[in-house]
Amino acid sequence: MLRIAAGRLTSSLRQAVQPRQATGAVALVQARASHGHHETDEEFDDRYEKFFNRPDIDHWEIRKAMNDLAGMDLVPEPKIICAALKACRRLNDYALTTRFLESVKDKCGPEVDKIYPYILQEIRPTLDELGISTPEELGYDQPELWLESPENIH
Amino acid sequence: MATSRALAALLRNSPKQLQVRSYYTVNKKHGNREVVGHGINGEPIYTDLADFPMPAIRYKEITPDLQALREKEKGDWKKLSIEDKKQLYRASFRQTFAEMEAPSGDWKGVLGITLLGVSFSLWFYVWLKHYVYPPLPITFDEEHRLAQLERMKLLDVAPISGKLKDL
Repeated sequence: MLRIAAGRLTSSLRQAVQPRQATGAVALVQARASHGHHETDEEFDDRYEKFFNRPDIDHWEIRKAMNDLAGMDLVPEPKIICAALKACRRLNDYALTTRFLESVKDKCGPEVDKIYPYILQEIRPTLDELGISTPEELGYDQPELWLESPENIH
Repeated sequence: MATSRALAALLRNSPKQLQVRSYYTVNKKHGNREVVGHGINGEPIYTDLADFPMPAIRYKEITPDLQALREKEKGDWKKLSIEDKKQLYRASFRQTFAEMEAPSGDWKGVLGITLLGVSFSLWFYVWLKHYVYPPLPITFDEEHRLAQLERMKLLDVAPISGKLKDL
């Protein structure tokens, strides 16, 4: 009795499981071999531009995106910078524009003499439209204040 | 059963201060500074970092003067003067990138103290040489060393052998 029941159970289980196992294994191999979808540079730029262009972007989100960009091995494209500056305008946060431009300049690294003038030239219409001054116009390309390092304040 | 119900009622009625969110939190230390982001670790703290430039809170607390400037900021930015813009920047951030990355000049002190140590050791060696060590043995002068060389040649110590062209 028990053996008959067990035999039926096994055969029904085998039918239920085996076909699925086979397709599952094939799918798994494909997924592993393809290493997922690689984002091209254009897709990356579009993604960030779209993110900054969101009409309901808030202070947390804009800072998250800017901090992420600052942590990557790249200098953001001028179109991303323009979208970010317009997002700052919608949030009425002027300080963020200066900070972001400083961060972009910092990202240029040793190639700052070549990349930064190009970026300024590309974003100049947006700067003029929104009334944004570059860090240089604010005198922030040179240190303005000397401040005690927080490491030395006890 | 009765105990657990009483405990639940106690928890419900306990004052808000007793409900500690986390032991390590620095919550409530930022005063009335605006929390504007997640920050580097989710805590409302301020740090100036070039690779993480937007901290979780604004640097300055909101004052009536600043509030007035904030209202002005909501209008056209072309009407903001350079001074206004700088004040807004300093309200949100403590240091500019140029200040963050300015050289500290610490290397001068480090080099100075290192050279002091080196010159002290050299003078200490001179003092040892003068007052502590005995004079070198007489065999260290040139005459004795040349005599030693002659003896080595006569005794054929460490000879160089073979044909001249192979050397």
